[in-house]
Amino acid sequence: MNFSFRSYLKRLRSTILGILIISILPALLFGTNTQLEQNVWEYSIGEIKYQVFPDIFDKYQYSMTIFFLALLTSLFAALVLTFFTTLLPRFLQRIIFGFLTLLESLPDLFIVVVLQFSIIYIYKTTGLLVANVSNVYNNPIYLLPILTLSILPTIQLFKITLLLMKEEQHKPYVTVARAMGLSRFYITLKHVFRNILTSLVQYSKTIFVFMLSNLFIVEYVFNLNGIMNVLLNTKGVAFMFTALMIAVPFSLLFEIAESNTVSINNQEEEDAA
Amino acid sequence: MIMKLVRQPQFIIGVLFISFLLFFSFYWPVLLDVNKQESLKLMDFLYDKEGRIIDAAPFSPSQVPPVGTDLFGKNIFYQVIDGAKYTILIAIAIACLRILFSVGITLLNPRSSFSFLNDIVQATLYIPTAIIAYIFMSSLLMKHSMEPMSVMKLIVFQCAILIGIGVPPLISTFSREIKSILNKDHITNTFALGAKKPYVYYRHVLPELSTKLILLFAQQVIQTLILMAHLGVLAIFIGGSSTVVLGDIFTPIPVSIPIAGEWAGIIGMNFPKLKAAPWAILTPLAFFAVSIFALNLIIQGIQNCLETNKS
Repeated sequence: MNFSFRSYLKRLRSTILGILIISILPALLFGTNTQLEQNVWEYSIGEIKYQVFPDIFDKYQYSMTIFFLALLTSLFAALVLTFFTTLLPRFLQRIIFGFLTLLESLPDLFIVVVLQFSIIYIYKTTGLLVANVSNVYNNPIYLLPILTLSILPTIQLFKITLLLMKEEQHKPYVTVARAMGLSRFYITLKHVFRNILTSLVQYSKTIFVFMLSNLFIVEYVFNLNGIMNVLLNTKGVAFMFTALMIAVPFSLLFEIAESNTVSINNQEEEDAA
Repeated sequence: MIMKLVRQPQFIIGVLFISFLLFFSFYWPVLLDVNKQESLKLMDFLYDKEGRIIDAAPFSPSQVPPVGTDLFGKNIFYQVIDGAKYTILIAIAIACLRILFSVGITLLNPRSSFSFLNDIVQATLYIPTAIIAYIFMSSLLMKHSMEPMSVMKLIVFQCAILIGIGVPPLISTFSREIKSILNKDHITNTFALGAKKPYVYYRHVLPELSTKLILLFAQQVIQTLILMAHLGVLAIFIGGSSTVVLGDIFTPIPVSIPIAGEWAGIIGMNFPKLKAAPWAILTPLAFFAVSIFALNLIIQGIQNCLETNKS
């Protein structure tokens, strides 16, 4: 762990500059919208106007709850699935890996719509409402968005952990542990998973960026009043503020993840030398 | 390289599928032996054998095989097949231009770090691409509604936005790649022997990049397809939309219909009525999924080929 505050500030500066450029560029290219004489801290969906403050904090909390619960769900699911896959014979593992590649190419939109529709279909045929499919009257729903958001990251994480597992299982310490008479179950659970989790940190950036983009589609299709909806509909200063609300904590996460991976790489180089 | 690629079954299946889809999309009226105008016409009501009205649009897949119709009674399957050529060709063209522009810009000054582009790349990590595209597209459409421009010009602007969004991340990838190539010993020697820059770029840098270029190209096509699908859901259509008023006189329902018949447009048009006609949106989405899978197969083939090259 060699996190440096200075490099975080540097990253933050470039992020802020980038957001500034993105929020100004449309107005520069296509001219400002003079007809709209509304408050800067106001945005409208359809005919209704909304205030950015103070609702934005609730929305932020709601979106982030969904995001991180989905992340935890997918991490847990991926680890459990990997654990059971490693117990399977070799040829089945290969089939599962190919199947994952197939699932990976499903667009997020497809999964969201299929899930939403299948819940409606189940309700229609059996009268059993598994979970609410849309936000009505500001009644926040949690189960279905979290489930939907976690599917694609689960597949990605499952694939990554499976690959890491394959690498890890041929390392000397596993052989030693086997020779000591420890069971495969115990080694995987106690030693291999720990190492895999530290290696997973270096993929966190890709997963996070991917999930943020998924979060947007989930929020839009399920009609959730989340942070991405605000980001979509605001312009100018309000847009910048919303983007920064997402960017500041996430860039901190990326910075920590990256400083960790750098230290891992350095260690490996030292080991090699 | 190409000979090795041909031996990869995944690559072959992917390429064959995409080209078959394109071919079918161009010649489907001949191949299926149907009249194009006839099969894409609006159909308000469904009649039985005696000419009685039995149902109004949208029709379910069981009433109009194979996958039903949309709200206007247009056959979804024919629409999707017809739209395939636009969708895939637009995605391929945009990905191609993205790669071209970013390589070109990087080669103008390969030693520079493009710091302001890096800022943009940093920022785009936190804002989904669809939202960035939406911001640009909506201000373009706002301008379009105030001072109308020709459809051709609108399409050019929209494509320029779609291209421009993908260029900054690509430039940062390429500048990293090209820098590492330019730092190699044989390139330094070539310069020392008096080679001109364009010669070195053409003879040494581009051939070394070529496999990476194909890989990035396939990935860009996938990204463009996904971006188009997202924009379709946000009711932003390539080529603009025309508004049609549905419903009766007392309750007019304005519905925007895309002019070009690509898949994203079909999705966007039917999205508000998802619960009434789910097949109308699931079919184009399934086609999106299958095309992306075919492209993923191509990528897998190229990667396999690269791995065998290394070992």
